[in-house]
Amino acid sequence: MGTEIPLLEWRQGRAAHRRRRAVAALLLVVLTLLSAWRCNVDFHSFATGIGKGVSLLELFFPPEWSGVSEMLQPIAVTTVIALIATLLGMCLSLPCALAASSNIAPRPLRLAMRSFIALERGLPEIVQMLLLVAIFGLGVIPGLIALSFSSIGMLAKLLADAIEEIEPHMLEAVEATGATRSQVIRYAVIPQILPALLANGLFRFEFNVRAGVILGAVGAGGIGFIMMTAMNSMNYQRACMATLLTLVLVFVSERVSDSFRARILDGGALR
Amino acid sequence: MTPEVPAAALPSRKFRFTVISLIGAIAVLCLLFAFLGMTPASFGVDFRFVLDVVQQMLPPHLPLLWNQKSILLSLVDTLAMAFLGTVAGGALALLLAFFAATNTAPHRLVRLLARTLLVANRSVPQLIVVLVLLIAVGIGPFAGLLTLIFGSIGMYGKFFADTIEQADKGTLESVESVGGTRLQTIRFAVLPQVMPSFVANLFYAFDYNLRAAIPLGVFGGGGIGFELAFANGLLHYKDVLAYTILIVVMISGMERISDWVRRGILTQPMATR
Repeated sequence: MGTEIPLLEWRQGRAAHRRRRAVAALLLVVLTLLSAWRCNVDFHSFATGIGKGVSLLELFFPPEWSGVSEMLQPIAVTTVIALIATLLGMCLSLPCALAASSNIAPRPLRLAMRSFIALERGLPEIVQMLLLVAIFGLGVIPGLIALSFSSIGMLAKLLADAIEEIEPHMLEAVEATGATRSQVIRYAVIPQILPALLANGLFRFEFNVRAGVILGAVGAGGIGFIMMTAMNSMNYQRACMATLLTLVLVFVSERVSDSFRARILDGGALR
Repeated sequence: MTPEVPAAALPSRKFRFTVISLIGAIAVLCLLFAFLGMTPASFGVDFRFVLDVVQQMLPPHLPLLWNQKSILLSLVDTLAMAFLGTVAGGALALLLAFFAATNTAPHRLVRLLARTLLVANRSVPQLIVVLVLLIAVGIGPFAGLLTLIFGSIGMYGKFFADTIEQADKGTLESVESVGGTRLQTIRFAVLPQVMPSFVANLFYAFDYNLRAAIPLGVFGGGGIGFELAFANGLLHYKDVLAYTILIVVMISGMERISDWVRRGILTQPMATR
């Protein structure tokens, strides 16, 4: 038998629930209308835009198949940038995460590291990219640094949260054997967060491939740059070829990262 | 009888494995760097040059924020893009997800079509979408908004479809057995089950879209990203730094707020209707 609720209380609860829903719905509508006004949402320009977009997409076909051979190198550059940024991010996020978790690091260090991570997470890659281009000039390096930095930010936050969730008993058990702090980290912390590090790293790789295409367009090279220049010079068939290759790259990286992640989360790869 | 220790679990083997994989990782990293044509020297920068740029950036031109009303408005534009992109994209993703999930799709062919659409949508690079839309609907926040909607559909449609497929079968069958139509089944058996996950993910989507709205602005999609790219093009580094600070504050602040609202909504008791 369920607990019995007096009728009056039930009615009041229901009325309050409805009131809350009405307020939430009203808020949603007001915010939506306000956003629509700020974004110049205009169904007329949308309708004409569809026509324009379709006639533009017609210019995309047929794709410039002859461009494939020269685009393989930029595709590889984008992939390699994403790969290096992910690897660097994974390696460097581990010490950052250790320094940011409350059960390992002393308070001042933890606060400093947490605010550093928050800064990295709040700074979009493209903003870092624009600032770094001012320092390093156009090229692969600013893109690599921007992607590595934001990889560190994301991975360190997730890892630090994972470390803080480790059962205190585990740490105490290793400490009780007389282990030093570094031994505690080696034998109690790292084995527990390794799956999280690998799984999130794979996820981040997929993200870095997508972000690398965008950074390429503002000067990091790779396939994004090809796409941007092709669009700017109205060479739409070339842009189409670049898009198709990027599509394949994104699709494959997603599949690879998905399948590895599934294997890691099953626990098979780590034993 | 002593239990046999598998050879792979011996400490010496484990140590050897660690060392070999470490060396392998470093070698791969070196090869990758070599592929990009980089040597350690290429990371060395002329330090005077860095100092020069930093000097040009400091102090950030913060008075700009209250002297120039358009900056705050462009901030509002970015927030509006992210909000509307999340709401509209989420709604469309949910709609498509019902067509793509095995237990709610009207027909197998429809399901196949919806799934293919979602996969294609996920893989199309955002860059080409925004570049095409800029030509189609013109420069401004509307193009950025449409790109965000497009991206949100791809990102969340598949996820929602998977969530719907995991919905409890018994509930669906019980509504069907009292004569509920397909729409009624969705309304009374599926929606209540998927709604909490749907709402929680929309808050994450908002955070993601807010970050994604900045590069879209740089390419001409409006909002603060556009102002940033403009100031950067003019080499007004003091303004660039001011915008950067503003962006960091906005993103971190909105993350806190959306976290707080999400907790408030999801822990609120679901009273009986």
